[in-house]
This record gives sequence, C-alpha cells and structure tokens, in this order.
Amino acid sequence: MYLAFASSALQTQLAYRGQVWASLFGKLIQVFAWIAIWMSVYGDAGSVAGATLPEMVTYALIGGTLTTAWDWRRLLNAVGASVCTGDVAVYLLKPMRYPLYLFATECGNLGYKLGAIALPVGVVVALTYGVLPPASLFHGVMFLLFWALSFVIIFLLAVLCGLLAFWLLTAFSLEWLLQGILSLLSGTAIPLWLFPDQVAAAVKLLPFAWISYHPIAVYLGKTSLAETWTYLGLGLVWAALLTLAVAVLWHRAALRITVQGG
Amino acid sequence: MTAIIEARAVSKRFRQHRRFPGLLGALKTLFTSEYTEVTAVADVSFAISEGEAVGYLGPNGAGKSTMIKMLTGILVPSSGAVSVLGRTPHRQRMTNAREIGVVFGQRSQLWWDLPVRDSFELHRRIYDIAAARFAENLGSLSELLELGPFLDRAVRQLSLGQRMRAEIVMALLHDPKILFLDEPTIGLDVVAKDAVRRFLTQVNSERGTTIVLTTHDLQDIEQICPRLIMVDQSRLIFDGELRNLRATLGSRRRLTLEFGVDPGVLALTSARLVADEGPLKHYLLEREDISLLDVLTEIGADRDLKDVKLKEPNIEEVIRTFYQGRNAAGAAG
Repeated sequence: MYLAFASSALQTQLAYRGQVWASLFGKLIQVFAWIAIWMSVYGDAGSVAGATLPEMVTYALIGGTLTTAWDWRRLLNAVGASVCTGDVAVYLLKPMRYPLYLFATECGNLGYKLGAIALPVGVVVALTYGVLPPASLFHGVMFLLFWALSFVIIFLLAVLCGLLAFWLLTAFSLEWLLQGILSLLSGTAIPLWLFPDQVAAAVKLLPFAWISYHPIAVYLGKTSLAETWTYLGLGLVWAALLTLAVAVLWHRAALRITVQGG
Repeated sequence: MTAIIEARAVSKRFRQHRRFPGLLGALKTLFTSEYTEVTAVADVSFAISEGEAVGYLGPNGAGKSTMIKMLTGILVPSSGAVSVLGRTPHRQRMTNAREIGVVFGQRSQLWWDLPVRDSFELHRRIYDIAAARFAENLGSLSELLELGPFLDRAVRQLSLGQRMRAEIVMALLHDPKILFLDEPTIGLDVVAKDAVRRFLTQVNSERGTTIVLTTHDLQDIEQICPRLIMVDQSRLIFDGELRNLRATLGSRRRLTLEFGVDPGVLALTSARLVADEGPLKHYLLEREDISLLDVLTEIGADRDLKDVKLKEPNIEEVIRTFYQGRNAAGAAG
C-alpha cells in the first residue's frame, strides 16, 4: 500500500513538469555560486582547515544536490495546513497511518527530485569543475547509509515542525525557524570544520549535522573508521528519538482532533 | 433485525478557548485559559438496522456532522456510547474504517492531482481489495454514475458534480456495509443532485448497503430515505418514517372551497376559516382524523359548491411550521 503512495507521488510530480526547468536552473546557479565563493576564498592557498579546493567543490556539489534535493518546506507547510484546517481527519477515516503515508509519499518525491534535478545539476557541475570520488570504498558505502539517514532526519524534522503548527497555529514561523537553524547548523553551505573548534564539536552532535555535514565528511574521508561508525550510531539514535517525538506528537494531535474536533 | 448502528444517550461538547476582542484582547487570549463550552449533540439516541436508509436532518449547526464524525470514529463522544457493527468506532478506528464508506460533501478524499482512476487504484491498495472484485465494482459503479468520460481526468479538473460522483463511487469500492454521507448534495445543480439521489437509492436497494446521510435538503430525504431522524439545537426531535412526520408534528391541510354564489360567512366545526374572498373560501384542517367527506357533509348539498381543492402540505412546510412553533415557544418560555 505504502509503495503505491510513493509511486503515485512520483507520478503527481511528473504532472508538473513545467516546474522542473525553474528548479533546475535555480539549483545550478546556487551550486555554481557556492563554488565561486570557495574559489575566491581559497585564492592561491593549497588547503584551508585541512580541506583542498577540489574537496570543497565536491562538498558544494553534494551539499547543493544530493543532501538538499528534497524540499522539506513543502512537507512542513502541507502537514501544518492539514492539521490546522482539520483536513487531516480525512486520513483518519482510512485504514492507514498518516505519518507512514507521508513518508511513503515523500520517498516518491525524493526519487523524482533526484532524477529530475540533483542528477542533471551534478553532471553539469562535475563536467565543469570535476568531482572527487569517495575517499575509499568503505567511505563510499557508508556515505550511502549516511545519505539515507540524512533524508530520514530532515523528513522527521519537517513533520515535527508541521505537527507543532497544530498548537502554535502557524506553520510559517516554524518554517523560518527551521530554515535559520538548518542554514547554519546543517553544514550544507559551510562545513563545520571551519567553525571554531568548541562550537564545531557541539554542533557536530546536534541532529542537524547529519543532514549535510556528516554525509559529506564521510564521503571525503574526513572521518576515521571508528568515527564513522560512532557518528552512524549517533545518527541512528537521533533518528529514533525524532521518530519517537513525531509518534508522540501525532498521537496527541490525533487525540485532540478526535476529542476537540481540531 | 438487529441494529448495526446504535447511539445511546450520546452527547458531544466542545471546549472553546475564550477569545477576547481587540489587540489587547488578543494578548489576553494568549495568557488566559478560560473556556466556553459548546454543546453540539445533546443526549441523542437511535438505532439503525441493516439495509436501512436514514436521513439525518436539521438546520445548520444542529450537530449533524458531529454525529457523523462520531459514527465514523474521528470524534469521541463526551458522554454516552456509539456502536457501529458492534464496535466502538474511535477505539477500533482501523477495523471500523475497512467496513464503512464515508463521503464528505465539503471535503474531498480523492487525490487532487491524480486522475480519478489513479485515486481509485490507491484506494484499492489502502483497502486491500481483491483485483477481480475491484474491477467488477469499478465497472458497475462507474457505469451507473457515468464516470466513464472523466475517469482519466485529474480530479482538480472535474466539476463539483463529477467530483461528488467520483467520491461516492470511491467510498463504495471496498463493499462497505454502511455508507455515511455528510451533505452529499451540497452545492450541486439539479441534474447532479438527481443523479446522486437515484444512485444512492439504487445502492441501498440493490446492494443492501445501509445508508446514513445528513442533509438540510428535504428532497434528499424524500427520494432516498424512508426513515428520518430530525435534530434541532443539538437535540433529537423526531425519529420515524417520513409519512408519520406530518401526524407527529401536527400538520395542517389547506382546503379551498369555491361556490357559485357567495354563501356569506360560513363557519364550520370541522375546519377553520382563515380567509374569505366571498365565493372563494380558505380553510385549515387542523385535525388528521377529519376527512374531506366530513367537511362536505357539514356543508350540505344545497350550497352550490363548484370546486373543492385540498392541498397536502409538503414536507418543507411541515418542518417550517414545526421550527417556527418551536422558536415561538422558546421565545415565550
């Protein structure tokens, strides 16, 4: 059943092919801009904080495409709107679980975004500036795991904020809050190794770091074997905690909808 | 026959956070926890047997949707008990959902961006409908409601009438034992309303699906539902067959007598004179047990009576009189 939701989400996206070109060019310009910034920052320097320029180009490429391919804002607003207006009751009428339904649908959307946007942008950038292969086979395989984890964590954060909108009656401010946190703490634009040591050490432990920083750091081989496993374990713990939070919040929201009528 | 839907002394009260007007009031609202309680359903009891078609009627805000939501398990009663197919709907939400079909007139359950056919296919997956059964149902239902021409069109491109027909077909694809409809004809034009009504009557008689529908359109009831449950101001005020409603609520038939020559003032004991236009006189028959023959006997044969018209009140008039009487009584009390 949930597989069907994923494939239908993919089909829905295909129905809006017109949007592809705009998103595609937007992404392309964003990634090129980041790379241009790094090139001017590096100038003639061989390496900054232990990272070379080709590494930074690869960082910008992965951060700009793979780990941010999927649009969490849309989900956050959709969940927020459906709990605030009470439309979510429609999902309660069917023999299915709403959070699982959302996850299945978003997997379909992710698949679409990867194929239609991330892949073309990645190819164009790679052909223009070149891209580094994973540091080792181990790091390459681990990157795939971290990448899946990255999607799960950002998905859970978006649903969590969307559900919070039920109590705060606004999804908009939560979107801005999450946007602000992510732009700084996820490491998408600025790698955490450029942060002051103590700040970086703390930020690396927050769930946001698993969205972009940890997956890319693993890809580039910035983490040792032991560190990689540790961060994978910690990331799974965060995913579990967030899942629990979503489950509790959804349960309470559902309870309030059924007792209070929304 | 045993009841498959039962409501026993069901009440539903909503707590509403009290809001204060104005900007300062808005701030005050943030920091207070004063609530006002609103009663949507008060002490309503009824039982519905398998195969019945029941209309749940009442003016806006009478608690119709609230009752449907409690029966479908998405609202919990504040007190009393609801039982559907022997289950408590909100406790066994998933099991209950498999055996009922629900249509909300004002809330679409179809997938907005997908063709109707794909929505149905998702529905099949959600409810695990066997492929053969699904194909058979889809074939016969969409033929009955003539969905053919727009099965492959995206839901957002459909007219309201087409969408509503698709909603009803979808709600029936998994062979539900009970079909709940909340205002299924709201906003539809006459032709679409008629199609929906004929279809529901057919579903009820041919498939034996129990139907419960809320409406404030009396024609829905007249055409689909032999039984009527009426609510007003959150209370049940009538439960029974439509034709008994007149007797219960005390309806008045209108009698017009036309004479060849003005007989002058003609007071009758069997009917009350309400308007006198000389040869044309209007009476009200206030008692059910008085027949036209009684009136004619009282008038006698020597009055040069030309024409007699007896007008049965339509159901709408009956209910209007009832609500008016009730409001007048409320104002007096």
